[in-house]
Amino acid sequence: MTGTDLFEGVSDAEDLLQVEDVVKHFPVRGGAVRDRATGQVRAVDGVSFSLKVGETLGLVGESGCGKSTLARLVTALHPVTSGHIQFKGKEITTLSRRQMRPLRRSVQMVFQDPYGSLNPRRRVGSILTDPFSVHGSLSRGEAKRQVQELMARVGLSPEHYNRFPSEFSGGQRQRIGIARALALRPDLIVCDEPVSALDVSIQAQIINLLEDLQDEFMLTYIFIAHDLSVVRHVSDRIAVMYLGKLVETGPVEEIYSRSRHPYSASLLSAVPVAEKAFRSVRKQRVILTGDVPSPVRPPSGCRFHPRCPKAQAICAEEEPVLEQKQGDGPGHLTACHFPVTAGEALALASREDPPSPDAAPSLSQGAPQ
Amino acid sequence: MSLIGADVRIEVAEEHNPDRKGGADREFVGRTPWQLAWARLRRDRVAMVSLGFIVFLMLVAIFAPLLTALIGHGPNTQYSTTGLSPSGIPVAPGHNGFLLGTDDQGRDVLSRIIYGARISLEVGVGATALALGVGLVVGLLAGYYGGWIDALLARFMDILLSFPILLFALAIIARFGPSLDLVLIVIAMFSWPYIGRLVRGQVISLREREFVEAARALGSSDLRIMFVEIAPNLIALAVIYATLLIPVNIVTEATLSFLGLGVLPPTASWGNMIAEAQTGDLFTVAWWFLVFPCVALVLTTLAFNLLGDGLRDALDPRHGRSNIIPPTKQQRVLAKLRKRTAREAAREAERANA
Repeated sequence: MTGTDLFEGVSDAEDLLQVEDVVKHFPVRGGAVRDRATGQVRAVDGVSFSLKVGETLGLVGESGCGKSTLARLVTALHPVTSGHIQFKGKEITTLSRRQMRPLRRSVQMVFQDPYGSLNPRRRVGSILTDPFSVHGSLSRGEAKRQVQELMARVGLSPEHYNRFPSEFSGGQRQRIGIARALALRPDLIVCDEPVSALDVSIQAQIINLLEDLQDEFMLTYIFIAHDLSVVRHVSDRIAVMYLGKLVETGPVEEIYSRSRHPYSASLLSAVPVAEKAFRSVRKQRVILTGDVPSPVRPPSGCRFHPRCPKAQAICAEEEPVLEQKQGDGPGHLTACHFPVTAGEALALASREDPPSPDAAPSLSQGAPQ
Repeated sequence: MSLIGADVRIEVAEEHNPDRKGGADREFVGRTPWQLAWARLRRDRVAMVSLGFIVFLMLVAIFAPLLTALIGHGPNTQYSTTGLSPSGIPVAPGHNGFLLGTDDQGRDVLSRIIYGARISLEVGVGATALALGVGLVVGLLAGYYGGWIDALLARFMDILLSFPILLFALAIIARFGPSLDLVLIVIAMFSWPYIGRLVRGQVISLREREFVEAARALGSSDLRIMFVEIAPNLIALAVIYATLLIPVNIVTEATLSFLGLGVLPPTASWGNMIAEAQTGDLFTVAWWFLVFPCVALVLTTLAFNLLGDGLRDALDPRHGRSNIIPPTKQQRVLAKLRKRTAREAAREAERANA
């Protein structure tokens, strides 16, 4: 009942999802007389990764780095500008709307805003019956039974079937959102900041629920968040995004203990630590200066170079490739000319004094051209 | 609670369950948005009086034949002996059994106003319903699809709105000959763009909401998204503006009838009653057969407008005066009981002191 013939027959060892060099540009419209594309927001600019069945990929990065756009590309809510996305070995970027329908059953999404993602004028029962009425041929009674089962499974009282979303708390609404995503027993659920709009105590409940469901239904998650401790708790692998690009990806513990990209290092140094025992081993805080540059005109070379404490002349000229660096485990890829080494303290980057070329140490000569 | 390094299961407190009985939750009553709106509207005295008047008017229109039979005067019968004085002056209100008097041809003004209410409501409500239907569909299509479809439909609506309605209506009716159906269609034709533009704007903002994206992620068709997801969110707006459009359309009908292009005499319509009354200068001595149709028209228009305002406040609390949630009946009764017991307790204590 999981999928349909089009998307069946994948063994556990294979990749469930393969994303290859996807690009999404949004045109910027302007012009005094007629609408014209005057520029492009490079929301996602060449991202590749893959996902195995049952895995959770944590996607982190600042606001505006393209996380949510990437999520909407994977769920085929937006068409890609270029690149390939393969789900269970099938290319999904070229599917027509009709061909997309089986995919809709297998890939679902949990949204960030539990207030905006539920139609305020419809009853919860009717919202949750949608997946069945759009896809299934269930009878009315059978659909209602399934919906109530689903509500019970996500921790809602089935008697609330006839209530409106406004009668629920934020946490309960997010449970409704999860139930809706779960209804058709998908293989992949993309969670777009599912807990960032919730109280901390409610966040924990929702995360526990998501983890339980993952075990029960063999779900694969792409988990987007800017709360790094939440991501660490749920993810198997982490992908760090900056201005539409992946800058580092790897197993969760490796990223959190030995991040190589200066951006991930500074991002992770911002995670607050509560226990004293952890505080002693905590790295020095790296504070970045400046704002994220405009994705309409991203910086040349490495996109992080204007804010990077380790930037050299080459960083502004040549874009680093996402590759395995020396001393890293397999699957840990970094896109940086000068990856951070263990124990290294990152100096503060300042916009006022960009690194002068003559001060560049010999390291830069060893870097690829 | 920190989640860092917590491979242990996070302990969570039981989520607040509004259904649990007892304690502070006992008075929790789930109400639908419509129930809430109705509760708010009920507290608006002006709107309730207007609603009462409109309901009364509708009953009068529906039971017009029965009422005129009770009065004993048909709307088009000329009572040349009882309805006119020997010198041909209309009978004043209250004389010879004519409650609101007679007109220059000896017809009962009250009976004519009752039958005129039928025409006014039929055209006002009918044309508005037609306009609402067309406006909703066109607004949904334009707002949802955007692009060239929107450009085309929005321009078309703008063009219709820039027409001088009355001149155009006069031209059409003069060409095809006046009839009630034609009047209704012409009025609807020029009033739907108001609804259409409003709906379009609302849809443009609604289609960006996450619940629409969620529906798309489920694989819902465009039609389903438009009519199942978006349309229910437009109903409040549509109800408000339809209520405000009805009086406009009633006045337009009266205007067309006044100009002799709406309902043709001898059939009574408020518009042609006013027109007939002001042709001579008989109304300077017999004011009633000019004034009463005017009063009927003004009161009806006013009632619809006031009800529309009340509905706007009730349905869209963000724009209204009150965004409070009124207490339910149960809560009101409880509060009253509590107040009474408190008062009695105070009196009891006073007596004990004395």
